Amino acid sequence: MKKLLTILCLVLISTSFVFAQGGNEKTTVAQKSNEPVTIDLWYGAAVTEAGPVPSDWVGYQIIKDKLNIDLKLTALPSNDADQDVKIQAAGAANNLPDLFMVSRKVLTNLVKQGLVANVDSYYAQMPNRTAIQYDADSMKQSTINGHSYGFASPGSIAKNEGLLIRKDWLDKLGLAVPTTADEFFAVCKAFTTQDPDGNGKNDTYGFGGYVEVDATLRGYPGSRFFPIMGAFGVDGLWSFDSATAGLNIYKPEFYDFMVYLKKMCDEGVIDPNWLSYKKDDFRAAWKQGKFGIMKEQNAAFAASSNYAPFDKNFPEGSWVICDPFKGPNGDASIGAFDMNFRIYAVSTTADKAGKGDAIARLLEWMSSEEGYFLLGWGVEGVNFVKDTNGIPVAGDLGDKAFTGSIGQTVTQLRNMVFYNGDTELASRYPTYITATSGKEMSALKVLREMQSKTWTNNVGAGTMPTANADVKRFYEQSLAEFLTGKTALTQANWAKFITEFNNVGGKTWNDQGVAYMKENNLI
Amino acid sequence: MKENLAIQNNKSSRLWKEIVRHKSVYLLLAIPFTYYIIFKYIPIWNAQIAFKEYWAVQGVNKSPWIGLTNFKTFISSYYFWPLIRNTIMYSVGKLIISLPLSIILSIAIYECTRPGLRKTVQTLAYLPHFLSWVIMYGILLALLSPGDGIVNDVIKYFGGKPIDFLSNTKAFPWVVLFSDAWKEMGWSAIIFIAALMGIDVSLFEAATVEGANSWQRIKYITLPAIRPVIVTVLLLKLGTILNAGFNQIFMLYSPQVYSVADIIDTWVYRQGLLEFEFGLATAVGLFKGVIGMALIMISNKLVSKMSEGSSLF
Amino acid sequence: MNQKTKTLRPVVQNKKVKLTSSDKVFNYLVNTFMVLTFLIIFIPVWSTITLSFRPNDYIGTNLEGMFLPFWRWSTDAYKALLGNNGFISAFLNSIKILIGGVASSLFLTIPLAYCLSIKTLPGRKFLNYTIVIPYVFNVGIIPVYLLIVAVGLVNKLPSVYLPGAISTYNCIIMRQFFEGIPGELKESAKIDGCSEIQILFKIILPLSKAIVMTIGLYYAVTFWNDFFNAMLYLNDSYLQPLPILLRNILMASGMNEYVEVNAFGNAPISAIKAASVFLSAIPMLMAYPFIQKYFTKGTLLGSVKG
Repeated sequence: MKKLLTILCLVLISTSFVFAQGGNEKTTVAQKSNEPVTIDLWYGAAVTEAGPVPSDWVGYQIIKDKLNIDLKLTALPSNDADQDVKIQAAGAANNLPDLFMVSRKVLTNLVKQGLVANVDSYYAQMPNRTAIQYDADSMKQSTINGHSYGFASPGSIAKNEGLLIRKDWLDKLGLAVPTTADEFFAVCKAFTTQDPDGNGKNDTYGFGGYVEVDATLRGYPGSRFFPIMGAFGVDGLWSFDSATAGLNIYKPEFYDFMVYLKKMCDEGVIDPNWLSYKKDDFRAAWKQGKFGIMKEQNAAFAASSNYAPFDKNFPEGSWVICDPFKGPNGDASIGAFDMNFRIYAVSTTADKAGKGDAIARLLEWMSSEEGYFLLGWGVEGVNFVKDTNGIPVAGDLGDKAFTGSIGQTVTQLRNMVFYNGDTELASRYPTYITATSGKEMSALKVLREMQSKTWTNNVGAGTMPTANADVKRFYEQSLAEFLTGKTALTQANWAKFITEFNNVGGKTWNDQGVAYMKENNLI
Repeated sequence: MKENLAIQNNKSSRLWKEIVRHKSVYLLLAIPFTYYIIFKYIPIWNAQIAFKEYWAVQGVNKSPWIGLTNFKTFISSYYFWPLIRNTIMYSVGKLIISLPLSIILSIAIYECTRPGLRKTVQTLAYLPHFLSWVIMYGILLALLSPGDGIVNDVIKYFGGKPIDFLSNTKAFPWVVLFSDAWKEMGWSAIIFIAALMGIDVSLFEAATVEGANSWQRIKYITLPAIRPVIVTVLLLKLGTILNAGFNQIFMLYSPQVYSVADIIDTWVYRQGLLEFEFGLATAVGLFKGVIGMALIMISNKLVSKMSEGSSLF
Repeated sequence: MNQKTKTLRPVVQNKKVKLTSSDKVFNYLVNTFMVLTFLIIFIPVWSTITLSFRPNDYIGTNLEGMFLPFWRWSTDAYKALLGNNGFISAFLNSIKILIGGVASSLFLTIPLAYCLSIKTLPGRKFLNYTIVIPYVFNVGIIPVYLLIVAVGLVNKLPSVYLPGAISTYNCIIMRQFFEGIPGELKESAKIDGCSEIQILFKIILPLSKAIVMTIGLYYAVTFWNDFFNAMLYLNDSYLQPLPILLRNILMASGMNEYVEVNAFGNAPISAIKAASVFLSAIPMLMAYPFIQKYFTKGTLLGSVKG
């Protein structure tokens, strides 16, 4: 036993020495003028599953040589809630990194605590980047109490989703694309009962969806259901229309929408797993032909790696993008859209330590031609080649290409430089021929078509005040209980719900929202 | 008077003698005790933020006091009583279902007469413990989803109507309790098996001599032998009765079952952690601690009255 | 293990024991329970195993998927995970955390449990309270985070295991077992002039192999599966352990914008998730049979007088 103890002791001591490395000393003051400035950057990885940026990435050397910056990268967790917890915990210990990606809600909290720096003066130091990325909407996103506290880079392109319907199923049953809510219901019913895939089994549904993680803040039950909500004019959480400004839930049409959706559930024309699905389950389900109508994102639908499984299972299958159908009052909308941004904030510590110049330099370089291509696609000849139009493509570079497993790790920072420019879209969404059915598909064409439909303009919804957690729970719990039938959906119960909602704090939230809308000209 | 002093002196000198006699024990204790002070009691000192309005820039010591405001926020929450009710329902439910099952499993493994069956079950039983709740959600979905879950396929085959277990407020608590039992049964049994392995051979010899059958053997030898471990486990679990399994509920719940699924920890996660209300989060932690401590002390007193050697203190 | 009846329970060798009918009923019930347990645990586990080997072009229900023949199984999910850039380094980090964690935990817990088991120790009650209080008062993440920053452990591997190095639960269970060791053994050692430390090593520990192994396993699994501490305290990518990698795969939330790129080749995402879970569980699964060797019957640990 003595031997065991000695071994344990040795292991313990050696582990604490050996594993005590790996720490970043936080340099608080930029040292002598020719020593590089250390910048800690916490970034949101583009594709977290692919793995972090390798330690021998060429970018490190280039940044050190050209900008005199020693860049230290940390990848944030892939889950939004985990990101928020990690950043807020670091904030609570006053241990925030120099530059980090953050959601607007957390940013608001950090501003209140005085942990992030006012960056109004930084924009002048990066004119090129500001011109490319920071337009008026971006500035609104990062402005709190009249000052900018972060840099809001463009996120996913707006209006990139659409209402898709199985064309082959429509043709088989001799139906037309629905244009009204009644027709939509009829088509859903037909898809459920008339075996549109012809396999003799009663295993298909009309509509499929899932409840997203942030569904309540966008408008419960979430953007998968916006086309249906849009038919009643209640898509989105807030109504920015001057006549009905406020939460959409107060509109009488919202009740009609609930009745309609409940009817879909009761008659079984919607995939009953919609309440339990998470994003990946939903996507797997349409690839297996479970339902015939859905709202999906352009690349999630049409990109080669995503469409391929569906194509293999159903070579005869095809989807068509349809216009939103009209509700009883003639409203129609694919959904409520807002501009999407990713905010990068600077900690007060870094600002006080004088790292502001270095940070501005770094960001400006990222948006330069060199930085744009390096962060976005990698090294030319190694990770990408340019085709005849100058668009970066994978060519035959295999794994090292920016679409391959190794290439993806060196482009994890692309979120910091992409701005949905034409080069990017052409590169991300090339035209290709499907493997099994030989169709020509292009996520770019799909995107343009989706963007051309009718949408409700909800720009600015991302900056609206959020509710207290209890109010939020009451809102989503009550709506969910109506839909599952736990509470009967009657006018009387609905009125009770609204009254109780106001009591819990819903009215306060609504008033705050309307006031904010007026102040910021969102109506 | 002098006698009293003498007696007192004797007592304190006896105490001192005991301390000196045990000086090598205190030496052994030094390092773990220091660890405790650093890693457990400094955070408790930091937990004073429960009574403060926490400002990160000012730190723990300089943030302003606000007394019981954080506690009031918690207690006056619209959902306070449902949270408490759900938390206790799950904690007690798990004690009632999981604990007996793992004890029965450990005895069954101990008494099983077929080594092949025993080894298979022993190896398989603790495998579910390693499945995180993220993957458990997938398993439960495959089993219980209304559209194509295996259980619902069976129900439909017999002509019944499929049940959405994960969205049904009546079914959800059972899903939580049984999935937890399924996952932890084998793992919790390990400690009981270790206890069973330590039973003195002579006890069983005596039992055979007296002609005891299997049931009597369980009643008079096996169960009493592991009783101290059972009592200890029970006492410890009572102390954390207000922790009802955050990871499980967090992965499994959804708005339609909030009324029966939301527990204290998930509420604190949304209201405290995600909102930068760390004083509130810490206050709830202290609240749970006070109740847990009270429960431990009460049940410990009961236990020490009933039998020596099983109490925590 | 007894040859004649083959139970874990010791059976007297030389006497021929006649099984009464109630004994037979008992054995029957025990075996039935074991078989039921086997089925209940095996079926969902099997469904997950088959899920991890499911090919990308499988259409059908989950139930049918469980019976998919071997030749249709695809190892794409496992290949994708093992080929993942971060996987090997994450695995090694987890091993480092495991070794450091179990070593420190046992180093700290064993003396503590032993000292608490000494009934004549003055201040024993006070010490017991001292270790129970932090267990009951779980103060949340920020008080601990502040401490970790203060001692400078942020972004270092020990920050994952040191906060949990002594688990009160494990300590008290171990104390329980130490208390069960007959006092005569300790007395005779004391008469021979041994100090407590020597008693601990020469007498107590050799008898406590099973409990030390069990508690070591408990600690091992806790550290191996920990993602929360790693997520909070570790920043450098090359320090990330396996659970972080897996959680990033399993819980990538939101409409991931770059969905046009598939990090995982051909395997369906559900297979990836299932495969990742098994890959992370395998080291621990391999450890248990190894530890079982120490669970020999009749060792004089924790024996309670009848």
